[in-house]
Amino acid sequence: MNAPSLFHFTFLLKEISTASWRPWMLRKQQFSLTRLPLFQAAGKKNSSNLLALNEADLKEQFVRGDGPGGQATNKTSNCVVLKHIPTGIVIKCHQTRSVEQNRKIAREILQEKVDLFYKGEDSDVFKEKKAAEKKKQEKKRRARENLERKKHFKEMQESDGK
Amino acid sequence: MRYLTRPLLVRFLGLSSRCVSVGLSQTKTLMLSPKQLSLRQSFSTRAGLVTAVDVVKYWQKVFETNGIPEAQESSEYIVSFVLGAKTLQSLNSKILCAPLTAVQQERIRQLSTKRLQRMPVQYVLGEWDFQDLTLKMRPPVFIPRPETEDLVSLVVEEGSQKCEEKNSGLLYPAAAPHPVILEIGCGSGAIALSLLCKLPQSRVIAVDKEKAAVDLTRENAQRLQLQDRIHILHHDVSSSSAKQLLPWGPVDFIVSNPPYVFYEDMAFLAPEIFRYEDLNALDGGDDGMKVIRTILALAPSLLKDSGSVFLEVDPRHPEMVENWLQTHPNWLLTLCAIHKDFCGKPRFLHIQKQSR
Repeated sequence: MNAPSLFHFTFLLKEISTASWRPWMLRKQQFSLTRLPLFQAAGKKNSSNLLALNEADLKEQFVRGDGPGGQATNKTSNCVVLKHIPTGIVIKCHQTRSVEQNRKIAREILQEKVDLFYKGEDSDVFKEKKAAEKKKQEKKRRARENLERKKHFKEMQESDGK
Repeated sequence: MRYLTRPLLVRFLGLSSRCVSVGLSQTKTLMLSPKQLSLRQSFSTRAGLVTAVDVVKYWQKVFETNGIPEAQESSEYIVSFVLGAKTLQSLNSKILCAPLTAVQQERIRQLSTKRLQRMPVQYVLGEWDFQDLTLKMRPPVFIPRPETEDLVSLVVEEGSQKCEEKNSGLLYPAAAPHPVILEIGCGSGAIALSLLCKLPQSRVIAVDKEKAAVDLTRENAQRLQLQDRIHILHHDVSSSSAKQLLPWGPVDFIVSNPPYVFYEDMAFLAPEIFRYEDLNALDGGDDGMKVIRTILALAPSLLKDSGSVFLEVDPRHPEMVENWLQTHPNWLLTLCAIHKDFCGKPRFLHIQKQSR
């Protein structure tokens, strides 16, 4: 029960300006999800139609200890909170056990939400959702019709049998 | 009946008697108080049925009561793992509200008991993720830290860039499009195997002075089917000759997350670290530079011209490394960049060997 205070790091939400995220990547161009083949290979909607996210518009937060970090700590909390400053949209991502993967996924989700925000019904995100819903309704309608048909057929059989 | 079935309750109660019989000095911290048992009862809403959410809350309370850090995260990772997922957030609400089987609950109890001994979650689960790879973890082999994921990205960027430069026809004494990378202190193989995945044309020589690390890296390499592109050597770089590190000649990159903790800071390591991890993988000597100096001294004879060394270090090291290199001008090594980690601390050094 004795957690020595020496070992107890206070947790802070560290706000990091995302301009520091992989500065070596910023050398090439503005960060844009469209140029990473990973996301297209994942079978998602064609992300080249989505608005690109500008890293300078993003603010990231991590739950990290106050300590030295690196080897001297072993923290497993790797939830990423990503905010898009112009729209105020916030994404909290804890899909994986890897900080880097969570950061990538957070950006992916945020990109979709920002696209939806600015484009509304013109957004691919909206269109795909609508198409998926329509398909689901169609399936339900067909299933219901099938059930009716079977019921009707059974009633016919019974009346013939009398 | 709104409460836990008797067998399950007895099993949870069994936790305390088992701990007493093991005779640990911390046994008193592992007893379940009546308060904890009533918490248990209040969580189940249907006869004998317990959901994932219930169990997460329960063990979180137990961890908190016993002073286990990251109580919520630990509980969530353990329950998710037993349900076959990585994190709680990745599970859909249907699964989260479905009842857990007795077998699942028992497994969660077994794993949580280990966590109650301050065992790191990564060792409790026997696996952890590094970027998009899932690797086996085993004490006392050093657990990869999240900061190190960015070290890999840095090397990959350098590695692909050199390839592009070569292809665009620029006259650079650049690396071949099949980079050879030497990793010093491979641990579980996280860095080596990530690099192999991200640079499909690369080959890696991975060394570690600990047999357990060499074995674990080999196991992880085989699980990922990368064993053909990696040479794993049991070798202490501070001891004998560097010749055996060059089966493929001079290398394009040397990468390392060497032990870099200052000796005086070793006393402040959390119990998770000093009780379970290999302290040799952390101790960098008085100024944390012991192994860093060894690597830099070896680098000139191992690297091709214009080859690079990438190191993860303590935030106090960049200036110290720069000074150290300046006292050895004959090495022709220059500190060309310092990169920050995702917490904004100076963490990664890029050192380049100048061509003669």
